[in-house]
Amino acid sequence: MAATNSNSRDSVQRGARGKVLSRGDRWRSYRYHHRATLKTSAGKMLREPLQSLLTILVIAIALTLPAALYLGVENISQLSSGVDSSAQISVFVKKGARDAAVKNIGEQLEGLSGVASVRYISAQSALEEFKALSGFGSALQYLDNNPLPDAFVVQPLLFSDAPKLVAEIREIALIDDVQLDMAWLQRLDTLLDIGRKLVLALGAALGLGVILVVGNTIRLAIQSRRDEITVVKLVGGTDAYVRRPFLYTGLLYGLFGALVAAILLTSLGFWLDGPVDKLAGLYQSQYSISGLGFGGFVMLLLIGGSVGLIGAWLAVGQHLRNIKPS
Amino acid sequence: MIRFDNLSKRYEGGFEALRNVSFEMEAGEMAFLTGHSGAGKSTLLKLLMLIERPTSGNLLINGKNLNRLPHAKVPFYRRQVGVVFQNHQLLFDRSVFENVALPLQVAGYSRADIGRRVRAALDSVGLLDREQQNPIALSGGEQQRVGVARAVVHKPKILLADEPTGNLDPQLSAEIMALFKRFQDVGVTVLVATHDIDLINRMNMRIMRLNQGQMEQDGVNYGGY
Repeated sequence: MAATNSNSRDSVQRGARGKVLSRGDRWRSYRYHHRATLKTSAGKMLREPLQSLLTILVIAIALTLPAALYLGVENISQLSSGVDSSAQISVFVKKGARDAAVKNIGEQLEGLSGVASVRYISAQSALEEFKALSGFGSALQYLDNNPLPDAFVVQPLLFSDAPKLVAEIREIALIDDVQLDMAWLQRLDTLLDIGRKLVLALGAALGLGVILVVGNTIRLAIQSRRDEITVVKLVGGTDAYVRRPFLYTGLLYGLFGALVAAILLTSLGFWLDGPVDKLAGLYQSQYSISGLGFGGFVMLLLIGGSVGLIGAWLAVGQHLRNIKPS
Repeated sequence: MIRFDNLSKRYEGGFEALRNVSFEMEAGEMAFLTGHSGAGKSTLLKLLMLIERPTSGNLLINGKNLNRLPHAKVPFYRRQVGVVFQNHQLLFDRSVFENVALPLQVAGYSRADIGRRVRAALDSVGLLDREQQNPIALSGGEQQRVGVARAVVHKPKILLADEPTGNLDPQLSAEIMALFKRFQDVGVTVLVATHDIDLINRMNMRIMRLNQGQMEQDGVNYGGY
């Protein structure tokens, strides 16, 4: 040691005069510290691969379930939106109504708000159409008079307005019957509403689950790094400095979980693609399922990342305070 | 530099660790703090590190009253203080270099600065060639020297040591003390808590003796037990 004496005294003296850190230095080293922290956090996860993988899988499954349900609901609602526009209200006029009255009804129908178009089908034209299409043409010749009523086909502007229109049309005089052809669409819409609410409830419950899982993982990480935290606090590390690596760990868990969830969802899409195409083919439809998409992927990462971050934040806030140098 | 003004510390449960302690240390002064175990040495150091807060009385550092320092400012105060622990508190999951670099990283020094200062500090304790080793591979005396390097790497104004030679043989203890003396020579205020009477008698320095929480003796000519 004696050999290094002169050297070391020199270095101590040089430093004792001190050098103030410039703001640029601080910013550069702050950024460097963030990068280094991210790297150590990732490294620590790799050092316990099984534990990390389990946590990531739990997060991935918790994200996949509501996301898959969401995609299912969206796909079905897309399917129904194609049929929405063909929702029609059939209005049958009482038999024996005079032409003037029928014309009047037509005008009344056109006057209703929320009506896109009104098409008149006279009893005569309806009979001819039926003759042509049904194949009973020759049999119908033996009828004494036309059994079909005059009718209107009303196209509502909005599908959701249809029930209100039906009620209004029923009030018009000389109307025999009103039929909403797409009543089942309404039921489907209600079901989809329930589905969407279910997505929210499931998402909230499983999101909370992810927060707890990440929180618990971070709690264990904090306990295993207790000595380090104590020393860092003693040499002047701020709370933010101590918190940072754990927040990065939580963020990484959330992001990796979301990534795995995206892979699971994409595989699910491929798996269902064949049968759905076949089913659509049976209905002569061009329909095919739409997957997560880029926007959905970014959204999934955003949700996963923030849920992981929140879990880490809660755990860190609760447990770091308890570690005090002694 | 350091001024204790009628300071008392009572722990929860009623134990009075320090009673009306007053003393002053000039900048660049070195002193030993001694007394039986339980006399209050560790409590006094903890107050200086802001691990504990006094029950009554004032503690002034450089004219500033530490009682009024808010929690968020504590880390920045600690960056002006270097501490050497009896159990050295080294982290065995990283190299000697990284252990010593910790106070600089925490304070946001640049990588180049950290490299330069850590090597200077390791050089000053004679361990420059060990920087890449894990501290667990070092002997007790070497570990304690790494602890010293970490305590001085950020050029603190105040250096505190709590039983720094507790587990070392006399020759290593003397080396550590000589090291502290060198830091005092360059203007650092050094306060060493120890019960190694033989060692401090030989060093001919100011000695403060605590007894049951009270300052029993304070002076250079120490009579010993």
